[in-house]
Amino acid sequence: MNMSGLSFNALPPIDLPFRFFLSAPLFIIVCALLVLFSGEILWFSRWQPNMLALMHGFTLGFLTMVMMGALLQLLPVIGGIGIGKPRFIATTSHALYSAGVITLMLSFVLANNWLTLTALVLLSLGLGIYLGAIIWVLIKKMSQGDSINCFRLAIASLTILLLLGILLLANKVGVTVPFILYDKHLTDIHALMGLVGWAGILIIAVSFQVLPMFHVAPNMPKYIRQYLGVCTFTLLIAYIFYTELALGLLFISQGGFALTLLYVINQRKRKVPDTSIKYWKLSAATLLLLNLLYFLPDSFYSSTHSPLFMALPDKTMLLTAIFIYFYLLSVIQGMLLKILPFLSYTHLQQRCLVDFSAMQFIPHMHEFLNKKHGIVLFYMHIMSGLSLLAVIIMPSLYFIFALFLLLEFVWLFVLMMKCMALYFSVNKKINLSNTA
Amino acid sequence: MSSIPEYMTKKHRECDEFFSEAEAAVADKDWSLALAKWQLFASELTEHLAQEEETLFPQFEQATGMTSGPTQVMRMEHQQMRALVQSLDNALAAKDKDEYLGLSETLMVMMQQHNMKEEMMLYPMMAQHLTDGEQLIEGFKANEAV
Ligand SMILES: [Fe+2]
Ligand SMILES: [Fe+2]
Repeated sequence: MNMSGLSFNALPPIDLPFRFFLSAPLFIIVCALLVLFSGEILWFSRWQPNMLALMHGFTLGFLTMVMMGALLQLLPVIGGIGIGKPRFIATTSHALYSAGVITLMLSFVLANNWLTLTALVLLSLGLGIYLGAIIWVLIKKMSQGDSINCFRLAIASLTILLLLGILLLANKVGVTVPFILYDKHLTDIHALMGLVGWAGILIIAVSFQVLPMFHVAPNMPKYIRQYLGVCTFTLLIAYIFYTELALGLLFISQGGFALTLLYVINQRKRKVPDTSIKYWKLSAATLLLLNLLYFLPDSFYSSTHSPLFMALPDKTMLLTAIFIYFYLLSVIQGMLLKILPFLSYTHLQQRCLVDFSAMQFIPHMHEFLNKKHGIVLFYMHIMSGLSLLAVIIMPSLYFIFALFLLLEFVWLFVLMMKCMALYFSVNKKINLSNTA
Repeated sequence: MSSIPEYMTKKHRECDEFFSEAEAAVADKDWSLALAKWQLFASELTEHLAQEEETLFPQFEQATGMTSGPTQVMRMEHQQMRALVQSLDNALAAKDKDEYLGLSETLMVMMQQHNMKEEMMLYPMMAQHLTDGEQLIEGFKANEAV
């Protein structure tokens, strides 16, 4: 038996995940400014350069940023072991990656080849270092388990998405690889790998762990835990060759996940009101709505004879926006509301294992993140989400979306800062009591 | 006959159940129901911790020679759990809903993490090293019946 697996304090220092978390809302604040200054034209096509900048601000700047930080922390908690040299890996990958995302956004907006090239180098280095460290752990040391297997698939998707991204960027600056068709299909594969593979499968893996842990919910059914991740990943690969069929099946499997989520949440033992549960329900409902919208006949979209009182906007844009905003962002925010106080508390609590008397200084979890503040975030998220839908239908409303976006993510940033500040002040008290 | 992992894991779930019921009652400000459920939880937990600290941990330490390893960490975490239980007692007595819910979230998360370590690592190791595991559990069950 491997005793080293029992190292209970393999948690990396708290400032490492927190630097990822704290930078994430800043990217959305930049996105809000981009929306504000781009005007209506941004919403006319998903191929608008500024729209590409916006997409990558959301997906890389926020979603991936948070997920990278969370994974640093989740691997030790779930797998019993973290990455080697955590400070070096986290610091360098975070710095390179952040600079890379900003440069990438700028390269889209300014259409400058040198910026594109710089972004390509920074992102490959930043993500490469991070991925290298994680993959090394996942291959060599990690135990088996349904969550861990899903982590592996999510990381595989991230790797594919990165490689495709590099190909696409290289193509922009004039470097083409033979036998590869640079068309919209390649971009779609890249996008789907990111949204459904990397983010989607990671969320599935995380749900297996956090629903039982924070809400005392039953485990997901065994076949879901064993096959949903693999099935999603296989469909993503199948999408390359059988686009329509695979996409339909992907929607259905995500819908199946949504139903399971709702079932498990409903069976949870902890019934105390909770904002993260609201976020999970919103996310599950979103997946079901997406199924409805996807299978709706084309005549509902941009047709003059729409059965509705108005034609729905561009289907891809609408579905992508709903998936990112109401599904991915909702889950991530719901998780952050749990993870921020949880990490702060757990780190301080670990310090008090040796100095039990210092326990008295540690506030309870709601003091790190006030429940009422969490609910405010939830409603702000709904408001800005609705304004996003409005702007897709009526681009002239862009400034309302920009404003709501700004408010929501400044608020999230404030909540994070409050939590961190409390952590450091308590940490100081424990230091003093240790030396006393 | 049940094994150590089976029986002890079942006890974790029972604790969770009483705990969640007490918490839900506090959220509804049903203080008498909350107190009843809380006391059920507290006595279940006390018994469970005692079974670990007085019987299972010492036996495990003897069988493996590891006295400063995982069992020591588990004992320290028990100490912290007891401190939170004490604070929850006070919050319940004062009928302070917000304080109680903040503390209960904290204890819940600490307990889940603690239980996960026991269920995933320590109990299976015990089952492997303690040859008389099932007899020990029968002993616990007999005590319970009294
Ligand atoms: Fe224990
Ligand atoms: Fe236990």
